[in-house]
Amino acid sequence: MGSWMTPVAYLLGAGWYFATCIILGVVIGRWADSATGLEPTFTLIGIVLGLAVAAVGGYRMLLPLIRRLDDEPRE
Amino acid sequence: MKVAIIAVAVIATLAAGFIFAAGPEPHIVIPGDPLWEVGPLTITSTLMASWFTMLVLIVLALVLTRGLTMIPSGKQNFVEASVGFLLDQMEEIAGREHGRRFFMVIATFFLFILMGNWLGLLPFFKAIGITHDYGTEVFEDITHQFEEGEPFHDDHHYFAWEMENTGGVALAKSGADTFKFDIHEGDDPGAALDAYIVALAEFFTDYEAPEHEGEEHHYSAEDVQAALAALEADPDAPKFVEGEGVVSPALGVSFAEIEFPGTKLAMVYPFLRAAFSDLSNTLGMAVAAFIFIQFWGFQSLGFGYLGKFFINPLKNPIMTFVGFLELLSEFIRVISFSFRLFGNIFAGSVLLLILTFLAPFIAPLGIYALEMFVGLIQAVVFSLLLLVFAIGAVTGHDDHDEEHGEGHGHGEGAEPHHQPQALQAH
Repeated sequence: MGSWMTPVAYLLGAGWYFATCIILGVVIGRWADSATGLEPTFTLIGIVLGLAVAAVGGYRMLLPLIRRLDDEPRE
Repeated sequence: MKVAIIAVAVIATLAAGFIFAAGPEPHIVIPGDPLWEVGPLTITSTLMASWFTMLVLIVLALVLTRGLTMIPSGKQNFVEASVGFLLDQMEEIAGREHGRRFFMVIATFFLFILMGNWLGLLPFFKAIGITHDYGTEVFEDITHQFEEGEPFHDDHHYFAWEMENTGGVALAKSGADTFKFDIHEGDDPGAALDAYIVALAEFFTDYEAPEHEGEEHHYSAEDVQAALAALEADPDAPKFVEGEGVVSPALGVSFAEIEFPGTKLAMVYPFLRAAFSDLSNTLGMAVAAFIFIQFWGFQSLGFGYLGKFFINPLKNPIMTFVGFLELLSEFIRVISFSFRLFGNIFAGSVLLLILTFLAPFIAPLGIYALEMFVGLIQAVVFSLLLLVFAIGAVTGHDDHDEEHGEGHGHGEGAEPHHQPQALQAH
């Protein structure tokens, strides 16, 4: 693996992860809304929760990359 | 001059592709094609491809590791270099202890995904298989619904190619026509039969049903009679056999079965299709990865591992919430892992299929090269993220600061067998 491939893999992985979190939040929220008739309460909760999970999980996922970049000597 | 020759060659190949290798209209199905039923299990084309991939890996492992010597040469050099390279990469990221511990599992994931993706590009994938006779299936579905005496409960879409029967082997003709037939929710089985008779007559003979205003799929008695007569006049067209079965409301006649004396309407269910172009397979991989991560977490931290997710709200309410989010993110990773791999590989296979249909021979070559690359990148992404999460699972919350700047951040020239100080302390 070249030095570029590891960051690429991190970022590709994180991109899909963010997308999954937000889409899942919205989909589950929509479903809960239609089941309970409380539109748009659960959709909003789903979006906020999805974003929060994306932020926390994404940070954990990218932590090694962030550290790596921090440690690399700057030009 | 040279450029002109190349241009002419490319154009000639493209033209030859269009004339001689025009494939039938591709049909895109998301789930793996069901081949056989074994008890409650369905053997799908993607499952077959997984087994094929395992077989190739096992055979390669056996062949390449025969007659090992202390001083490697030839194939042994290659194997040692590949395995050594993977191990070095993992030790660089995870440190020596964890790198070695995770190596077996993660390298297996990597090799399996890489091989599955690359083998999926071979030309005999998606090409050879069993035929599924849709021409007969439509009739059987209608009969079944007629016997229940209720309208159809859901939509049915049938998609089939015209296929030639030659001694037990069916071949899709070059540029074969596509037969499409839809039954909608709430359709009456008798009316569906009439529509099917008309659709078959329009497909196999010169018959054309006159347009009726308003209702689609509703034909008068004369139309259906004319359609049936057209089918009977043509020796190669399908024949409806009278008998106890489903009654056509337009004709007042009951039909027991349908026969295809000439070409039949069928679809190929390939024996092999790229292993990870099926969400079931990638989900299986993601669940296996998830179990390994949890196992390593518990193995290293014991029940203290759960302390990452469940934090006493009286002590620190914000961390309680963050812990809850982390717990959610553990599960979302499974979905994210499976959709990432499935999405990339499935999209690639669809792209290849469509491009081969639109411009056979030359145009798909570039995409094949791209797909080789995507296959490698996805294998790297899967195994790298698995490694990162595994490291995250085996390090407790208190270790985070220690870890910083020690276990990570070795530059290009770093010695691969470097032992992080945090680990030496033990």
